[in-house]
Amino acid sequence: MLLVLLVCFCLAAPASGAPVATTNAAPVSQDPAQTPVKSDTSANEEFKFGTVDLELLEQVNLLDQRFERDGLVLEDEATNGYLARVGKSLLPRGLNLEHVSWKFRALRDPVPNAFALPNGSVYVTTGLLALMDNESQLAAVLAHELTHVMRRHTYLQNRSNRKKILAVNIINAVGVWNPAGGLAGAAIDIITAVAPFIVTATIFGYSRDLEREADLKGVELMMNAEYPPEEMVKALKLLANDIEGEQIRLFYNDHPALQDRIKYVSAYLGSRSDKITAAMELNREKNAYFTKAELIMQHDIQLAINAARYRTAVYLAQRLVDFHRDSSENVFWLAESYRTLGPRAPQLTDKELTNSAKKDATKKRTRRTPEEEEKDLLATDAGQQNWKANQQKAEELYLAALKLSNPVPAAHRGLGMLYERVGRMGEAATEYEKYLGLAQTAIDHERIQRRMEMLRRPQK
Amino acid sequence: MKFNTRLDCSTIRSAFVAIFVLIIVVTAQQVAHAQYLHPKVVSKQTTIRKIVLLPAKIEVVKDSMKGPEGMAAESDLLGARVNQLVTEVLAAKSVASASGPVAGAEGGDAQQKYTIADIQSRYDALLPKIAKKKSDVKKGRFSLGDEVLNLNVDKTADAIVFVRGHGQRLTKGKTAFTLLVGGMPAYLRMSIGIVDAHSGEVLLYTDPVAVGDPTNPNDTRLRKAIEKSLKKLPPAP
Repeated sequence: MLLVLLVCFCLAAPASGAPVATTNAAPVSQDPAQTPVKSDTSANEEFKFGTVDLELLEQVNLLDQRFERDGLVLEDEATNGYLARVGKSLLPRGLNLEHVSWKFRALRDPVPNAFALPNGSVYVTTGLLALMDNESQLAAVLAHELTHVMRRHTYLQNRSNRKKILAVNIINAVGVWNPAGGLAGAAIDIITAVAPFIVTATIFGYSRDLEREADLKGVELMMNAEYPPEEMVKALKLLANDIEGEQIRLFYNDHPALQDRIKYVSAYLGSRSDKITAAMELNREKNAYFTKAELIMQHDIQLAINAARYRTAVYLAQRLVDFHRDSSENVFWLAESYRTLGPRAPQLTDKELTNSAKKDATKKRTRRTPEEEEKDLLATDAGQQNWKANQQKAEELYLAALKLSNPVPAAHRGLGMLYERVGRMGEAATEYEKYLGLAQTAIDHERIQRRMEMLRRPQK
Repeated sequence: MKFNTRLDCSTIRSAFVAIFVLIIVVTAQQVAHAQYLHPKVVSKQTTIRKIVLLPAKIEVVKDSMKGPEGMAAESDLLGARVNQLVTEVLAAKSVASASGPVAGAEGGDAQQKYTIADIQSRYDALLPKIAKKKSDVKKGRFSLGDEVLNLNVDKTADAIVFVRGHGQRLTKGKTAFTLLVGGMPAYLRMSIGIVDAHSGEVLLYTDPVAVGDPTNPNDTRLRKAIEKSLKKLPPAP
């Protein structure tokens, strides 16, 4: 009994470690208007590093290297420089944090996400960059992540997790050695079975209080840097748009529910409305952002297609075409997205976005390959209709892309793949040939060459 | 009479437990070294003479009483060791290893890195589906598609090898705790996938397990596990 009480006490312990000298992770008040957000100087307060923190720091530094080595970091100086400019503009002046060296980088991942490592490395996925409408929204995401570093949230969460895991081990021992069995034993067994899941869940996200603090402090950072803070709410709304009907944890999904966050950030902004002035209207409109992010968006569409996120690809490509209609590259990406969409509808219906439908879709996704999914869909009337409509649209767009100035050679490759799929083999081979003639150093040269040779091989 | 019935019951129960334990032991052994070959490999329509090994992705953690801790540097070293062992085991079957993907396409090194990363993640996306129904490898169900050609590997290579693994090392405290209370011992569970370098079809899948500290520099256990798991792969002529 005493042990169980001890365990309960451990689980309820606040997220603070013994060596912490400051109150960096002060719990945030539930009333958004009353939420105390510390001044910039508080970030410089001393944080005493324990052995556990230094070990974590060492691992995190290796993680940075791993991202780079494995080709996950987008090696584009312009993009990373742009992220650094926006990120650094949010940092309070004179901020000097021990063991923090700020680095801002884009990560090649079509799932919208962003995270900060405690060593000051901030990563934003191409999926998130492609989803944002303007620089202020990007600043909102960065401000949130910067707060996690400035407030040392990772270290605090790590210390907290370690305590929980120790507690689970104790519960495990109590459960195994419990001679009584019966109801008490069964209850402990259930806790033991459930607790690791809860603990694991906390590892993949900060506690709600810490996330809330990051949101509200993020708003402060935005205002200090003269970014319109209401863009944080707009960014959250954009992230709430579930294009794929997925159940995976997207950016902010593992934090307080998005609607709650939108509510409390809006309430907080309302209480600070005196600070939102017209002077904040800087050159951060949509067009400026899209001009800077156009290449990243194109790169992300390819990543989305690779990851079978076809609807996202169509959504993003359509945004690009709406922004810059005369770009052959943008029209090509929209064509490519429609071609790979195959027999799927470009948008999910309300019925498909219910929780049970999403659950069902997730189950199917784990079982079937995208090719098998296509085959199953093609066996239905709706699938056949979608297929025809999407392929027709793709063909029109490929042809349109080729008529624009500076036509992208890959449109020939796309047409070739489309014709090959619908059985127009001669035309497919011709398109492949055109592509090979125009893109002689392309990375997929050999692949397309083989396809062309197969098509031209006399049929037995 | 009553006494006899009780005795019979306990005897039957013991017999059931013994059979159950036996089944577990036998199937565990099979799972550890099960190998699934594509029909093309079985029928020798496809022969693997030369392979290209992509960098292994192995993650090991140190499990202590205070929870698991990352071992990034050790994991990297282990990945290189496992790749080396796979190369040696395949070499014993006269399967040569070609050097990894070569840069040279437009975009230079970054593009090459991206292509490797994309193919690796393509495999990672397929892996759970393979693991869910490994026997379907025998039906030729799984493929990465001809995108594997974008890697531009050595033209004489027949197959590309993907190695994945996860494992744990226990601290002394955790080892004692595990002995007393039970729990997972130190282990390394790997998965090896051999994919056709031209069509992307999964030609072989196996998932060997090596029990014991995976960071131990003695490779004997690890090598044995890999050797056993690739036993069915026909040697190159």
